[in-house]
Amino acid sequence: MSFVIGVLGLAIMTALACTLPGTFLVLRRQAMLVDAISHAILPGIVAGYFFTHDLSSPLLIVGAAAAGLAVVSGSEVLRRSGLITGDAPQGLVFPALFSLGIILISAEFTDIHLDTHTVLVGDLNLAAFDQLTIAGVSFGPQYLYVMAGLALINAAFLAVCYRPLTTQSFDDEFARSAGLRGGMVSALFMLLTAITVTTAFYAAGAVLTLALIIVPPATALLISRRVPRFIVWSLAVAVGGAAGGFAVSYLFDAPTSAGMAVFYAAIFAVVFIVRELVNRPKRAPRAQRAETHTDSPAI
Amino acid sequence: MTPAEFFTDHTFRTVFLGTTMIGLVAGALGTFAYLRKQSMIGDVISHAALPGALGGFLIAVTVLGIDGRNMAVLTAGALVTGTLAAWLTQLISRRSVLRVDTAMAVTLTGFFGVGMIAMRVITNGDYPGKGGIQDYLFGNASVLTRADLITIGAVGLTALVVTMTFWRPFAMHAFDQTYAASQGDRTHLIDTVMFGVLAVATVIGVKAVGLVLMVAILITPAAIARQWTSSLRSMTVTAGGVGAVTSGFGAYLSVSLGNVPTGPLVVVCLFVLLVLSVLFAPGRSLLLRAWRRRRLRRALRDEIQTGDSQPRPLAWKRAVS
Repeated sequence: MSFVIGVLGLAIMTALACTLPGTFLVLRRQAMLVDAISHAILPGIVAGYFFTHDLSSPLLIVGAAAAGLAVVSGSEVLRRSGLITGDAPQGLVFPALFSLGIILISAEFTDIHLDTHTVLVGDLNLAAFDQLTIAGVSFGPQYLYVMAGLALINAAFLAVCYRPLTTQSFDDEFARSAGLRGGMVSALFMLLTAITVTTAFYAAGAVLTLALIIVPPATALLISRRVPRFIVWSLAVAVGGAAGGFAVSYLFDAPTSAGMAVFYAAIFAVVFIVRELVNRPKRAPRAQRAETHTDSPAI
Repeated sequence: MTPAEFFTDHTFRTVFLGTTMIGLVAGALGTFAYLRKQSMIGDVISHAALPGALGGFLIAVTVLGIDGRNMAVLTAGALVTGTLAAWLTQLISRRSVLRVDTAMAVTLTGFFGVGMIAMRVITNGDYPGKGGIQDYLFGNASVLTRADLITIGAVGLTALVVTMTFWRPFAMHAFDQTYAASQGDRTHLIDTVMFGVLAVATVIGVKAVGLVLMVAILITPAAIARQWTSSLRSMTVTAGGVGAVTSGFGAYLSVSLGNVPTGPLVVVCLFVLLVLSVLFAPGRSLLLRAWRRRRLRRALRDEIQTGDSQPRPLAWKRAVS
């Protein structure tokens, strides 16, 4: 398999693995939690390095996922206290963790090659560097198979927990009164989200990871209003965006992660604008529109 | 290092004054983002400042032919894209089924992606003065200059004056947008002004604190102030004060410790203050709540044990419910 095809495959597989949890994160209004998790990975990696002094140790991934979970649970504690309003908890917790990471780096390991820049940007081409070679035949980047495994796990989880996840996303009170084990499913879902962000982060960097997780479902939500169709559309946008974004970055010699993030934003913008134009002529009078909005549960 | 040494040194004084002003403006204005329940908008604005600042750099170097690191040009560019991103976020969440958090994620990644491409263009190209451009993004308080101080002061003061001028509409918007609209406010216009002001508060700090941490300087003072105050006026003043004092202290600490950057220290100090405030603030805190609950529980137990059937103040019933 040629290197370029391998990187393309990695891009598409990363997009698929990310978008699967992204669908429900968008429905549950937790999109910016991904942003917080992806930034909090830095101190996790630093803490892992603190114990292992080896940048390639798998313990670093464990540390990163733990830091991601620390953001999730820390914000949850602040939110439950009832003293902090709106989306503030995550915005309060992740900078504190990020700062701890930077202070640790500057105080302990000035030699570590982990600046905030690399953390934010990431590079698919570097992640694709280690090739899987069996009997002299190259089967593409090793990381492609890591992402494929993650995509399978995510898909299996969504398939098994589809009902409680959907019910919870639309009507949490009903989900609890119906005796669905919401707490357990939520906790597992958050764990899986943290793992997905951490794994994708190595290939894509913090910001593209956020784009891969949130933008395809956001675009799909503009198109479809049924959950199964919404998920299918999300995956379609994810694959199309990854392939298109990769091709565009390759042609214009732009940084792959950044090019893909911009391409996704462009897809979203086109869908948004087309939808605005299509909706314009048959717009109902103001009062009537307000009524229909409250009648139909917005997905 | 003694405070006397600290304040007689020109560089240290510049860093101290700069971070204090940033803390004051960001802390005071962050109150509105916090009460509007859109705290993460600070993160969107600071990331969206990247393409604007770099665009400003490119225009300054290629069109105007002046020093690309001119703080006024960079700030102007960052303000344009920061405000645009905040405005687009509101537009998307207003005009579609998407919630504001999703809209934030979409605009943040789009703008930051453009910024990263611009960054590649600048690092690969041959532009004079591109050396320090990274500092603008990832934060370095020690490179603040006197000209930076003037820019921060002038732009920050303007934002504070605008906020005072629009005090009533801003307050109504923060608490009850429906009511504000029913009073004939031009909702979208007020919104745009408010997010423009927030963009100012965010953008002026990016060079010293870095774009990732700016959201904390913006909203942590507000969250702390909310624990100690119960009116918008006192909350805004307290948040500004907390922001200013903590940022100044962080700058002092950073210089004294030597190798540790200012921004992260300020953020950690703010977070410690926040935890203390959530635990101990009078009026509303976890400790007070636990203590009250314990006292009521004991009262209830005493009542049950003594078999007292006399009607009593119903305080314990409220505690149980």
